Amino acid sequence: MSDASVFDELPGDLMIWVLIVSELLVFGAGLAAFLAVRIADPAGFAAAQDALYRTGAGLNTLVLVTSGALAAWALRLREAERRGRARLCLVGAALLGLVFLAVKSAEYAGKAGEGIGWDTHPFFTFYYLLTGFHAAHVAAGVAVLLLVAWKDAPRNVEAGAAFWHMVDLVWMLLFPVIYLLR
Amino acid sequence: MARDILRAWLRLLALSLGTTMVTLWDWPVALTAPAGAAILLLAWAKARIILARYLGLASAPFWRRGFEIALAGFALLLLGLYLAPEMV
Repeated sequence: MSDASVFDELPGDLMIWVLIVSELLVFGAGLAAFLAVRIADPAGFAAAQDALYRTGAGLNTLVLVTSGALAAWALRLREAERRGRARLCLVGAALLGLVFLAVKSAEYAGKAGEGIGWDTHPFFTFYYLLTGFHAAHVAAGVAVLLLVAWKDAPRNVEAGAAFWHMVDLVWMLLFPVIYLLR
Repeated sequence: MARDILRAWLRLLALSLGTTMVTLWDWPVALTAPAGAAILLLAWAKARIILARYLGLASAPFWRRGFEIALAGFALLLLGLYLAPEMV
C-alpha cells in the first residue's frame, strides 16, 4: 500500500497552507460581512467609497504583483544555488512592500486630514479594519522577507515567499470589493 | 527572470489594467450586474494566477482545482451580496 497522500502534492510546508487558508477565511468573512452590511445602505456606502483614493490603491496592486514576482523568482534562484541574486530579489520584494505601506500611509493621512475616521460611517469601519489588518500583514511580510534573505535556507525562502504571496492574494480580493464595487 | 514567472507577472499587470478600464467607466445602473461580475471575474483570474504560478499550485492539480472552485464560489457569494440591494 502506498503512503502517498494528496497533501504531499502541496508545494512547501503544510502549515503555511493552513495559514493561507485561515487568512483567506478571515478576510473572506470580513468582505462578506462588509457587503452584507452594505445591503441596508448602498447609497451611503457608494458616497463613502467615492472618498477613497482609487488610483493609489490601483498603484499598490501593481506594486504587490511585482513584489510577488520578485519573491517567486527569489525561490527559483535559491533553489539553483544563486544565493546572492535570490537575496537581492527578496530585498527588492521587501522594498516594494515598503512602497505599498507608504502609499497606504498617505491614503490614511489624507482621510484623517478630511476628518474621516473609523466611526464616520460603517463603510469606514470596515475599510479601516480590513485594509489596516492587511497592511499589518504587509508589514509582517516585509520583516519575514528580510529575515529569510538573511537566513536563506531554501525551506525558509519558500515559506517566506508563500507568506508574501498570501498577502498578495488577499489584496486581489480586498481591493475590488472595498474600492471598486460601487 | 524565469519565463513562467515573467508571463504570470505580465498577465497580472494586464488583468489589473483591465480592472482599471472597467472602473474608469461610469456604468449605468442597468449594467451594475455585468460590471460587478466583470470586476469579480478579473479578481478571480488574478487570484488563480497567484495560486498557480507564484504559490506553485500549477504542479498540484488537485489543490489548484480545489482553490479555484472555492474562490469561484466565494466570488459568486460576493456578487450575490453586491446585487442584493438591486433585488429588494
